[in-house]
Amino acid sequence: MADETDVRKPFVEFAGPNGSYYADTFLKIKKNTLGRYHINLAAMVGGFIWAAMRGNWLLFVIAFAVDLVTLVNLGLVYKYSKAAVDNADKAFLVERFEGWSQTHLISAIVVLVVGRLVFAWLADRMYAIQFERWRINRSVNSGRIVSRLLIAALVVVLVLPMMLYRTTQFSPEERGCIRQDRAIAQGEQVPFKSRFDCYFIGEFPTLFWIQRPDEVSYPRDESGERYVKRTPPSANAPPVNLNTYTSQAIDDSIGYVTVFYGFLFDGVTQLLRGMLTAITSVFVGTPWPLMMCALLYLSYKMAGARTTIFVAASLIYLAMFGFWKTAMDTMSLVVAASIICVVVGLPLGIWVGKSNRGRVIVTPILDVMQTIPSFVYLLPAIAFFSIGKPPGILATVIFAMPPMVRLTALGIQHVPDNTKEAALAFGANPRQLLTKVELPLALPSIMAGINQVVMMSLSMVVIAALIGAGGMGYVVTEALENTETGRGVLAGIGIALLAMMIDRVVQKASKARRR
Amino acid sequence: MTQGDANGVVVTRNVWKIFGERADEAIGAVRRDNLSKAEGLERFQAVVGVKDVSISVGEGEIFCIMGLSGSGKSTLVRHVNRLIEPTSGEILINGVNVGDLDAEELRAMRADKIGMVFQSMALLPHRTVRDNVAFSLELRNVDPFTRANVADRVIGLVSLQGYGDRMPDELSGGMQQRVGLARALAADPDILLMGEPFSALDPLIRRGLQDEFLELSKTMKKTTLFITHDLDEAIRMGTRIAIMKDGEIVQTGTPEDIVTNPADEYVADFVAGISKLKLIYAHTVMQPIERYERDGTRLPPLHECPQATPDDDLDALVGLAVNQRNPVVIMSDGTPVGVVTKDALLRGIQGEV
Repeated sequence: MADETDVRKPFVEFAGPNGSYYADTFLKIKKNTLGRYHINLAAMVGGFIWAAMRGNWLLFVIAFAVDLVTLVNLGLVYKYSKAAVDNADKAFLVERFEGWSQTHLISAIVVLVVGRLVFAWLADRMYAIQFERWRINRSVNSGRIVSRLLIAALVVVLVLPMMLYRTTQFSPEERGCIRQDRAIAQGEQVPFKSRFDCYFIGEFPTLFWIQRPDEVSYPRDESGERYVKRTPPSANAPPVNLNTYTSQAIDDSIGYVTVFYGFLFDGVTQLLRGMLTAITSVFVGTPWPLMMCALLYLSYKMAGARTTIFVAASLIYLAMFGFWKTAMDTMSLVVAASIICVVVGLPLGIWVGKSNRGRVIVTPILDVMQTIPSFVYLLPAIAFFSIGKPPGILATVIFAMPPMVRLTALGIQHVPDNTKEAALAFGANPRQLLTKVELPLALPSIMAGINQVVMMSLSMVVIAALIGAGGMGYVVTEALENTETGRGVLAGIGIALLAMMIDRVVQKASKARRR
Repeated sequence: MTQGDANGVVVTRNVWKIFGERADEAIGAVRRDNLSKAEGLERFQAVVGVKDVSISVGEGEIFCIMGLSGSGKSTLVRHVNRLIEPTSGEILINGVNVGDLDAEELRAMRADKIGMVFQSMALLPHRTVRDNVAFSLELRNVDPFTRANVADRVIGLVSLQGYGDRMPDELSGGMQQRVGLARALAADPDILLMGEPFSALDPLIRRGLQDEFLELSKTMKKTTLFITHDLDEAIRMGTRIAIMKDGEIVQTGTPEDIVTNPADEYVADFVAGISKLKLIYAHTVMQPIERYERDGTRLPPLHECPQATPDDDLDALVGLAVNQRNPVVIMSDGTPVGVVTKDALLRGIQGEV
């Protein structure tokens, strides 16, 4: 056992002033004997000043936040009491404002008391962590240095006045600010206070105004050919902000492309429609008894008896509540979208998995595709392909493709190097390496990708009902529009059953393959 | 260092392999200044894998390359079937420069001439044992019927009869490595590259597989490059042994050469722990009768002495010498040619001859 003073020495050296208190506390922390409710009184009284002098900036932020929230609440108390006095003639306003001001007063007290207590409880424990970091790296803050208060003062001076001003003022109205902006542009005098309010405590100010762009249209000339016609805006039209200007430009470009390259989009639409017609004729065109038997047989073959019982129950639900045709419609959409996803996604995934350049090009695109909310995909689909099932399928494909590409690439990348080396050592050419080694070994991952694609297609197909893709989603949208809650719920359950059905069957099937 | 016979089946001539983007600069500097591994890494961010290696492996020989991990032995052997391209130097197989082959010729050579066995087995988990064994034939578009026939025959050779329809993960490690060996043998290649094939197996199974492999190669006479980090294994398996250190070959020779005449401290350290009983023969430890009698001692009558031939190993001599007061007399063609005293025997066991 080392000498007691030796043990305490680094603690004292670290803490500087008041070292013996911190040595005691840190030792207790190390021995797990620190009281559950132990608090640091200096920290409780000193708040962020204590934290700043001790050089623990995380504690400083916590303590400062406590004090700031307290002050903000007090500021609100002031603001609402003043408002109550200003509106003394309107009894209901006085009552409301006084109520608010009381609530904020209570908040201020609670935040201050609880916040300081929690902070004081945290203080020694987090200070001990700082000590551990300091032991490894001596450049970590130690001791108690008054000059650190300068940094703290800087933060306080920067933050506090703005915050207090913001809380004691009613924030300006947005439209009022825009109007004021225009007034300033036309040379009118506006008081400093309302300028300041609009610039700093409301919405981010509009920094510049842009001349309204030309109106663009695509009429036909005498020979029936379309041409671009620009009409300049009228002289007294107000300028526009960046958002309006840019969205106008995007609209114009989309309009241009659809007018002059419409045949491309029509071609794609035709293709999708043809494919969908074929699939729909199977799902919807087959009489329901045959289709039901076929589905049950398929699920039995792929996933076994237990899942088939569930599938049967779900199918009966759909049929009994009159969703059979709509459900089959949805199924055709899902199948069509999934097929496209696999056909396009698999080669893309192989490329990403095998080539560095592929990875560099495709990965960021996939990242973006997965970050964009699914709703947003409906916009370009409508813009280029108008409404109906084909744009619905396209939006679905874009939404559901990323997991196929990613999981295929992942599977390919995870094929062990030595297995590939062995195949090369026995004389495999690149094609044989891919088909006989890499794809079979990546198969579990690829199957997981297909499962994901099917599930995501289903969820997107439902949303695509908004642009007229029909199916189960249409029932839900209709229910939403007419506030028919009951119908919506029934359709919702139907969609959930459909999803679970497909998921169970595909998952069981891929597991069975693996074995 | 012995260069061996220049007309071997597998010949490497001054092969260098330097990993790193600035390999060409590095190779010059290493040649000129004899840079160490650490210096090469620091100055060129280059790692010397193989350093000026010239070996020649004769037909039917089992040539062991022994070295610790990182010594470049696996890198060297991957040059033979050009899984790795040398930075400089050339590799000849049956006189053909491997570096000159185009992609298709290279694939043909890999499939027909060279079989390779890996430490990690590297079997294809989704294929049966039979399909794994027939893999190289399948790559050469041999028809399924012939493939299955050949595979079954080779599976028999490695005593795995009846396991053809199993999946690799149903087999134990030792059996999986037999499949690996069978796969290498299926195309009936001239050359076998064994990349630490038995290192991952436990000692008893390793021993069994070593014996089996020795039996097989006696009948099949395949030219074999055998990589190992285990000197015992190298001595058991090898007709000749090359010891590698930091990418260089420090000594090449027969097992007895290496054990009795280590080229430097490094090899001597290795050899120190090796049992010499089966490696040193009577002709090495015996002394001529005249020298024995020079000290005034007289050789007892021949019929009272235990007798052995010059090709008996120390193990046999020890067996003869126990419970005997007289030294062992070495007889050749009915005449005594030398004497092995107990002192000489003990020294021999220590490796000091």
